[in-house]
Amino acid sequence: MYDFKFADIGEGIHEGQILKWMFQVGDKVKEGDTLCLIETDKVNAEIPSPVSGVIKKLGGAVGDTIHVGNTLALIDDGSSAQPAKKDTAEAKPIQEGEENSAGVVGQIEVSSEVIESSTESYQKADVPTKRVLATPVARQLAKDLGVDINKVTGTGEMGRVTKEDIYKIKESTSKQSIAKEEPIVSKPISFKMPETTSADVTRVPITKIRKTIVKNMVISKSVIPHTTVMDELDVTNLVNFRTEQKELALSKGVKLTYMPFIIKAVVLALKDYPVFNSSFDHEKEEIIYKHFYNIGLAVDTPDGLIVPNIKHADRKSIIDVAKELQVLSEEANNRTIQLDKLQNGTFTITNYGIFGSTFGAPVIKHPEVAILGVGMIAKKPIVRNNEIVIADIMPLSLSIDHRIIDGGDAGRFMMRVKEYLTNPMLLLLS
Amino acid sequence: MALINILEAVNKTLEQQMEKDPTVVVLGEDVGYEGGVFRATAGLQQKFGEERSFDTPLAEAGIIGTSIGMAINGLKPVAEIQFSGFMFPAYNQIATHVARYRNRSRGKYHLPMVIRMPYGGGIRALEHHSESLETLFAHIPGLKLVIPSTPYDAKGLLTAAIKDPDPVIFMEPKRIYRAFKQEVPDEEYIVPIGKAKLVKEGKDITVVAWGALVREVEKAIKLVEEDGISVELIDLRTIAPLDRETVIQSVQKTGRFLVVHEAVKSFGPGAELISIVNEKAFLSLEAPPTRLTGFDITVPLPKGEHHFIIDPQRIAYEIRKVVRY
Repeated sequence: MYDFKFADIGEGIHEGQILKWMFQVGDKVKEGDTLCLIETDKVNAEIPSPVSGVIKKLGGAVGDTIHVGNTLALIDDGSSAQPAKKDTAEAKPIQEGEENSAGVVGQIEVSSEVIESSTESYQKADVPTKRVLATPVARQLAKDLGVDINKVTGTGEMGRVTKEDIYKIKESTSKQSIAKEEPIVSKPISFKMPETTSADVTRVPITKIRKTIVKNMVISKSVIPHTTVMDELDVTNLVNFRTEQKELALSKGVKLTYMPFIIKAVVLALKDYPVFNSSFDHEKEEIIYKHFYNIGLAVDTPDGLIVPNIKHADRKSIIDVAKELQVLSEEANNRTIQLDKLQNGTFTITNYGIFGSTFGAPVIKHPEVAILGVGMIAKKPIVRNNEIVIADIMPLSLSIDHRIIDGGDAGRFMMRVKEYLTNPMLLLLS
Repeated sequence: MALINILEAVNKTLEQQMEKDPTVVVLGEDVGYEGGVFRATAGLQQKFGEERSFDTPLAEAGIIGTSIGMAINGLKPVAEIQFSGFMFPAYNQIATHVARYRNRSRGKYHLPMVIRMPYGGGIRALEHHSESLETLFAHIPGLKLVIPSTPYDAKGLLTAAIKDPDPVIFMEPKRIYRAFKQEVPDEEYIVPIGKAKLVKEGKDITVVAWGALVREVEKAIKLVEEDGISVELIDLRTIAPLDRETVIQSVQKTGRFLVVHEAVKSFGPGAELISIVNEKAFLSLEAPPTRLTGFDITVPLPKGEHHFIIDPQRIAYEIRKVVRY
């Protein structure tokens, strides 16, 4: 028995389709007779019988696909050899897998998978969001600056968004966001410190109180638009009055300075011009008028500036204020002062005159809106009744929060303070 | 309607055109008696006789030279080059005569002829059987170059090519000859040459492909859609003349561009497409126009070919890269 297997008839053919059988089972064939016609991807091949004998079995019907290695025909050629078992195994029909199918050269994927019919139409996707024209470099810039370029109105050719457009948007948005921020500067603006070697410098960490000053000053100067007005007061009367009363006060255990007079004068002026005793709520755009007068006094201590305040200074006499000032000053210097005495000030006076200074541009203590700087009282020649005379002159500097106080207000406030300090009797009468 | 694959579509189109137009003839190596190595011309000689479907010697220059003479004299030859890699002996005929006859004769003669050739890799073949030589034809003025990716387009484009009064190179992606079937109308119809097909609309990126890679891009799209990326896919269908408008409009909308082709990278079709995008859609670009192509090497033999073949994973990777640029 001869097991005739379908062989590779050349060029890597893996399968063929049986087109026609020339013989049927039981027919006699001679070696070289055309057994059948097989159609492959390349050719229609006539398959000759390899042996002479009687056909016992055909490997498939017309139209069947036969793979290389499968039995094409069993021919009894008189040999006793039975089909070997391994041959049988080998001849197990290969499934007509889509992967294994053959081409002429190489392997071509064969599949009956059906793809969608062509319609030349397609499903509409969502309408894409508006896109602007811009050069890639402008797009990169927008990305770097965190600007959504599609929201920028372009001013370039054909409405293209230019780099300048992006910079402008960036500027205006950052202005808006600063305005919206709480008026608190939590971090110093970062900048690179110049390089120094340890031999050149000594780095010293600042004290806690200095840290507070740093924070407060940065807030004050970055939030409040300051302006300062200055004036010189002829306080000859006040000087004379104080000289007269100094001994009396001392006998009561009080060291009488000019400060209680200034405080009283300021409180009276505050009552006339209440905006100086207010705070400004920028976010809500409201002025908060305070109906209490806690007058702070900047005290220079070895550790730094401390500003305790005299509560309800309007309700206290000059002597009482003088007494309290003495206590506050001691407590501040000893660092024994209670926290509440440092809080809720409404207006501050700073006396840099004790260091011999004349004018200053004092920094307002946020959230207050004004501060009065007092310079050293000195004898100066002035013109009084068309004569040059010697007078005691007190220089004052008034810084104001220009958001809610104008220069005119400052001038009027200063005039009122001047009135009281040049005529100390008014202070006593009030 | 018939449910057929690309190969069957080519075969049926040739049969239909030979039936309708007695001047259409097919010729090439093994084309007649055997019906072609891939069976594209199977049954034509039996049906139309040896004068209209015939075998030629293994001489590509002769196949094309003969076709030129036939075309000048009123026939419409559809010549088959067995594999596009075998076309080099005919390249002189194609570049110096086929492409120029209308111009050379000042419009007196024109060559209504089609040159079919299977192209592309991915079938584990021998050397000279896997090339993608689009550039060699698209670069020659006077030639049209068409590549279908579906049975429907294969019939419509081949019909258009046969009816075209001038020479058309018709490259067939043999890797997908039998890979899938599609409903194709029995009646004659045309898919216009020079018009790309918007396969799928999307928002984030324009991907241009043709031939066997259209299907690979479609697979890749499924992968990237999981990441929420919306891809617009254009099947170019005609390489020359390029449908610039469709490509540019799409890129102006999506802002991103990826071209995927089997042909090697340097001076390939992708270079031309990217140039067009830069020239015409520059102000819309969100990312550099990008190409995913064959490497600048001879397509490897079967053992190493999988390194060369562009698969959906590589396409998906490239799409993500461009979108996230």
